[in-house]
Amino acid sequence: MHEYSIALEVWESVAAAAGKHGGGRVRSIKLEVGALNLIEDEQLRFWVVALAEGDGSPGVELEITHVPARVTCKSCGGEGEGRVPEGTLPYFVIGAVRCSECGSQEVELSGGRELKVVTAEIETEGRNGSGG
Amino acid sequence: MRLFETTDRGSVEIEIGEDLQARHEELAERNRQLFGERGIRAFDITGSVGAGKTSLIAGMVERLSGKHGVAVIAGDVATTRDAERVAGKGAKKVLQINTGGMCHLDASLVARALEQLPETGIDVLFIENVGNLICPSFFSLGVEARIAVVSASEGSHVIEKHPAMFESADLVVLNKTDIAEAVNMDLDQPIADLETVRPGLRVVKTNCLAGEGVDEVLRALSLA
Repeated sequence: MHEYSIALEVWESVAAAAGKHGGGRVRSIKLEVGALNLIEDEQLRFWVVALAEGDGSPGVELEITHVPARVTCKSCGGEGEGRVPEGTLPYFVIGAVRCSECGSQEVELSGGRELKVVTAEIETEGRNGSGG
Repeated sequence: MRLFETTDRGSVEIEIGEDLQARHEELAERNRQLFGERGIRAFDITGSVGAGKTSLIAGMVERLSGKHGVAVIAGDVATTRDAERVAGKGAKKVLQINTGGMCHLDASLVARALEQLPETGIDVLFIENVGNLICPSFFSLGVEARIAVVSASEGSHVIEKHPAMFESADLVVLNKTDIAEAVNMDLDQPIADLETVRPGLRVVKTNCLAGEGVDEVLRALSLA
């Protein structure tokens, strides 16, 4: 359920940026979400769409790009996306991620926790300086 | 902020580039700095509804209040019941945060609560997170240590089923050990599971209502 509070922050960030740009209906949002945040895309989408609709931007499209985990191995020094044993349930990924070079579980996570609002597309039609 | 005209759709694409997770980490870091400046040792207490977080905090406050200036922030979706339970145990300040619908505390909610703390005279702060074994694990508050409380009534496999919380914890309190047999809980199971999820993480067994094990928790946190 933490998708709700994340959606709230995503929408606040987009609404603030749109406001600085003169307002207008938000048509689409691009997000980058790290794999280790364990965020359910559909729940996040549901809440962002609902919040946007309540704020005068119905039907907003959400494009979510997943950012894989990045690990640095403490054993062999290898860097990469790491790998997770086959069959690991999504919820167990953080504990299960290991070095893709040597297989060690002694890894330091250097990526995969991103939650980035990349861009937002705002309608300019019919705005005509009214400020939206 | 850069703009990308997309004239065919009658819209513009604006670049935002804001990493919300990084912002959370920044806010947590700001809390950490504030704790450092004021000489406050802060602890985040997480666990399910009914695990015994409030009982543990009440027991710790009772034991520390003679020697320390203790404050408590109690986070709940609604009511001031937890704050009321801890008040009267000797804490200098007890604050209640009601999150409304939110399932966890985050660094900004804690920062707002900190504004209400007295600027001096507090050197230990217990932050009781919202009863939830999942969501709080993703939000760092800027504390010295996170204590994850689990109780016998949550079943033998509670740790194996919620690894993220124990990934982020610094100490596990296994509470209500007195009723383990009655609820068919195998106390060795969560400890064995913890060895897989977080090898070497310390576990303290407690019966917080009776005050058993609370002194050991304080020792594990170097508070006694």
